[in-house]
Amino acid sequence: MNDKELHYLAIAEAAAGLRRKEFSPVELTETCLRRIHSLDDKLHSFITLTADLGLQQAKQAEQELNSGKDRGPLHGIPIALKDLYATKGIRTTCHSAVLENWLPDHDATTVTKLQDAGTILLGKLGMHEFAFGGPSVDAPFPAVRNPWNTAHIPGGSSSGSGAALAAGFCYGALGSDTGGSIRTPSSHCGIVGIKPTYGRVSRAGVIPLSWSLDHAGPMARSVEDCAIMLQALAGYDAQDNASANVAVPNFQTGMKDGIKGLRVGVPRQNWFDENLGIDPTTEAVFNQALKVLENLGARIVDIDGKPFSLARKANQTILVCEAYTYHEKTLQETPLKFGSSVRRRILEGAFLSAADYLTAQRARAVLNEQIRANFAQVDVFAVPGAARPPEAFEGMDPNEQNMRPSFTNPFNLTGLPAISLPGGFTEGNLPAGLQIVARAFEEATCFRVAYAYEQATEWHKRRPDL
Amino acid sequence: MAEELTLENLKALAERRGLRLPEDELQRLLTGVIRARRQAAELREMVAREDEPAAAFDAIRHEQNRRL
Repeated sequence: MNDKELHYLAIAEAAAGLRRKEFSPVELTETCLRRIHSLDDKLHSFITLTADLGLQQAKQAEQELNSGKDRGPLHGIPIALKDLYATKGIRTTCHSAVLENWLPDHDATTVTKLQDAGTILLGKLGMHEFAFGGPSVDAPFPAVRNPWNTAHIPGGSSSGSGAALAAGFCYGALGSDTGGSIRTPSSHCGIVGIKPTYGRVSRAGVIPLSWSLDHAGPMARSVEDCAIMLQALAGYDAQDNASANVAVPNFQTGMKDGIKGLRVGVPRQNWFDENLGIDPTTEAVFNQALKVLENLGARIVDIDGKPFSLARKANQTILVCEAYTYHEKTLQETPLKFGSSVRRRILEGAFLSAADYLTAQRARAVLNEQIRANFAQVDVFAVPGAARPPEAFEGMDPNEQNMRPSFTNPFNLTGLPAISLPGGFTEGNLPAGLQIVARAFEEATCFRVAYAYEQATEWHKRRPDL
Repeated sequence: MAEELTLENLKALAERRGLRLPEDELQRLLTGVIRARRQAAELREMVAREDEPAAAFDAIRHEQNRRL
């Protein structure tokens, strides 16, 4: 198999090929490294490349697989990490001058789990600084660019994860999501990402943005690949106070059972037209996606979008208060070490009161009830992955996102599992995601609906012209 | 509704919080802070007196984690 055929394999395909000995973990790793070396100058998706470590891990995986020690479907698969996952002895920067040369003395729980599953680490990926603000234009590392059009943003904050996967630099990646940071770059880069239920995946060793809203999760190029990765990541961790001590199901069980009779709630009314409203071309893609779901046997049910719309206010209030609390000392001592975008956003939290924060947490409880009550009449919610196609860097208005509905925030506030997958393309050949949201701890339902949509469409097979 | 902030108010608040920010930075910050405070104020309309915060201390969890 040549490089071109290898670098866009799905994890499931690569795992099968490794076991048939069509190629080796070393060949997969070398393929990814060659591609990164030849193309990442355009995208800036990697901050730190761990080529030597990766090749060493690949040789070990090869020996283990040859000797019959099989750690499962991720064994020998090259992956990369958003640069806020602590990696022992490997620089972890959060894309910031504040942590430019930080070498953690520990691994995040999720990093250990991926190592135990036999993955190969290619490196650490660019992001929005400290997972907040916008593309980092004054950070020590360049802003990540969208492989579909490098003049456009890849979405954030897990920008490098989205771009690297779309570019065929790795087979899976980790992102994190506090207000949409896994799902937005997944939508903008034409890949798949799931924000699992709050508590499903450990946050231990993930640099926090907002403790009560942060979620860790996988990103990949197919729904099945995300399910494979989540299987390795999920589970109780006593190191994480928010970790849920609940059973982890097999996320692929029932994934191929179809969606006949499924009730899909669409909270369009009182939400999609908020302020500037959803971009019309994005809404057209979403409406077409709903037709596909209907053709697969689902029933579309209109539900009230008001509580979903209000969720943004609570989410943002909680987020800036918690983020400021975490960064307060550094902001007092060396404020200019932060890039201007993230500094201004976090500083908003300095000027809110304890009562503001607690009111937002009370509103969270109220909205949580109102949003979850919809599950009495529907099985899942469907919403767009983002309100508009990825903006061009030039002329980008950082405040515009506050003027459009946030289709991701409500599911951080409620902790519900939400997956974004390629839903279609807008004008200019830019991807648009479809988001499916299920009841708490029902990630398997997200995977079942997403898989059905993926298999019924061709969007996930498109590749950017790099 | 929260009081509308002026640049002078913001400067005084920043100093009280131990933040040394140049005037032009405070000026750029002002719009975002006003929006954030307005948004927080709107949330008050949404809750009833008996509504508790979503985040609650869980004594059992902390005890279990301590033992692990």
